[in-house]
Amino acid sequence: MIELRDIHKAYGHIEVLKGISLTARRGDVIALIGSSGSGKSTLLRCANLLEIPQRGDIVFNGDTVRWANKLKGRQPADKNQVRRMRTNLSMVFQQFNLWAHMTVLQNVTEAPVSVLKKDPQLAEQQGRELLEKVGIGDKCDQYPSQLSGGQQQRAAIARALAMEPAAMLFDEPTSALDPELEAEVVKVIKTLAAEGRTMLIVTHDMKMAFDVANHVIFLHDGVIVEQGTPEHVFQQTQSERLQQFLHATGTIG
Amino acid sequence: MEFCADPSLISGWRWLACYLTTPKHQLFYLSFLTVFALLAITAPVVLLMGFAGAVARLSSFAPLRWLGTIYTSMVRGVPDVIFFLFVPIALDQLVELTRHKIKCPQVTDAVYRGNEFIVCSEAKMPLQDAAAWVHQGWGFVLAVIAFSIVFGAFAANTLFGALNAVPEKQLETARAFGFTERQTFRKIHVPQMWTYALPGLSNLWMILIKATPLLFLLGIEDIVYWARELGGSKTGYFAYPHPDWRLWYFLGLLVFYLLLTWLSGKVFDRLNQRFNRQNIDQQVLKPIEAGR
Repeated sequence: MIELRDIHKAYGHIEVLKGISLTARRGDVIALIGSSGSGKSTLLRCANLLEIPQRGDIVFNGDTVRWANKLKGRQPADKNQVRRMRTNLSMVFQQFNLWAHMTVLQNVTEAPVSVLKKDPQLAEQQGRELLEKVGIGDKCDQYPSQLSGGQQQRAAIARALAMEPAAMLFDEPTSALDPELEAEVVKVIKTLAAEGRTMLIVTHDMKMAFDVANHVIFLHDGVIVEQGTPEHVFQQTQSERLQQFLHATGTIG
Repeated sequence: MEFCADPSLISGWRWLACYLTTPKHQLFYLSFLTVFALLAITAPVVLLMGFAGAVARLSSFAPLRWLGTIYTSMVRGVPDVIFFLFVPIALDQLVELTRHKIKCPQVTDAVYRGNEFIVCSEAKMPLQDAAAWVHQGWGFVLAVIAFSIVFGAFAANTLFGALNAVPEKQLETARAFGFTERQTFRKIHVPQMWTYALPGLSNLWMILIKATPLLFLLGIEDIVYWARELGGSKTGYFAYPHPDWRLWYFLGLLVFYLLLTWLSGKVFDRLNQRFNRQNIDQQVLKPIEAGR
């Protein structure tokens, strides 16, 4: 369903991604792991074109992103195509990024109403149900700043779900949270995985990667060093680099 | 006998009461409305000009960006008083010159003759025989335009800064959810900007209030004009003779302005509180809380 082909991305002279390909089929849960600076977040951001790769292709449901050469380098040629992709790939950010001037409920209903042109009443009803689902149905009318980090991230997940996306992108969803708040977010992500949703998850949480993903990709220095099933990656580690990484994160043992 | 029939025969409180209600004093009281009218008309126009200027400076279309930058930096670099003297005269001459060209094409004499600026009488703005209030009104319109240009540039600066202060992540998130650039601007960027703009705008409002006596400079019969006029010493020739009381009149203006700015401060404090409660991203607040 989502295919990234030979993605290259550099900032100035620093090459962050050196030719990465991955394919996610419907129902896949892919975890991207690796140390900071390995390029895993950049790769995720390339998938919905928040970052524009200098080389490589992005295919979504058989629809290949068309490029145009502009003054500032390669840019997507068709803005509508980009928007169509983005509405189908909802993103959950490390810092939640809830819109600060809207209530939690408004955060959830805004994009469905103004982007998908959904009926406001229907959007509100569905928004309440989604917030109920992630366990903060009582916070509808509060502002993001009044919520804990874990509650904010769950609201952000509800906001992403409200788009009824084909796939969800998680950019280190638990990294900004205290351990106890982390657990409540992990629980929600597990529920979504169990529902068979397609997800790409960039994470530092190896336990979550092991529990939730059906495919794990280990990135180092902008290349894929190792990938496979969680059992394969975590228990029959091949490369020395991954062994070091798992050791350093306390995963091996 | 009527209460104020013969001022020379009354004294004390009665004299004062009669003195303070003379027709001239009623004009003085009415001139306070001029100040309020100036504020009421200028403030929204200033906001609009400021918004247009700020958006122009943010535009991806280079000529528009230059226009916005030139406007704000030019006005900022010139003393206010110079601008208030320049704009009304320049506008007045521009209008009269244009009318002259249209209404009296038969006149071949140059409009600028040595030190004089002479247009035909039909081109006068307003016409020579127009009522006094038309003259005052025209002066007032020129004043409003001058105020709007100058304060619009300040507002543009404030709003430009506020637009830049909105965290990029908030906008990026909107794009990631498929908002168009226009939707992002309207639904996220502008609503969040107000929190950052409010302190600057409240400051600007105070400066605008304090700049209203410049009306006097432009020949409008405002409160300063009347305070000077009425406060000056009056000989026995006048119905209510008194020595130089300008001190007291100006003291009155001082109290008036203090009250007005104090009240404005209160209102802005309220607005600020309300905005801060809702709008500021928690990440912005966190370091502040940690510091306590």
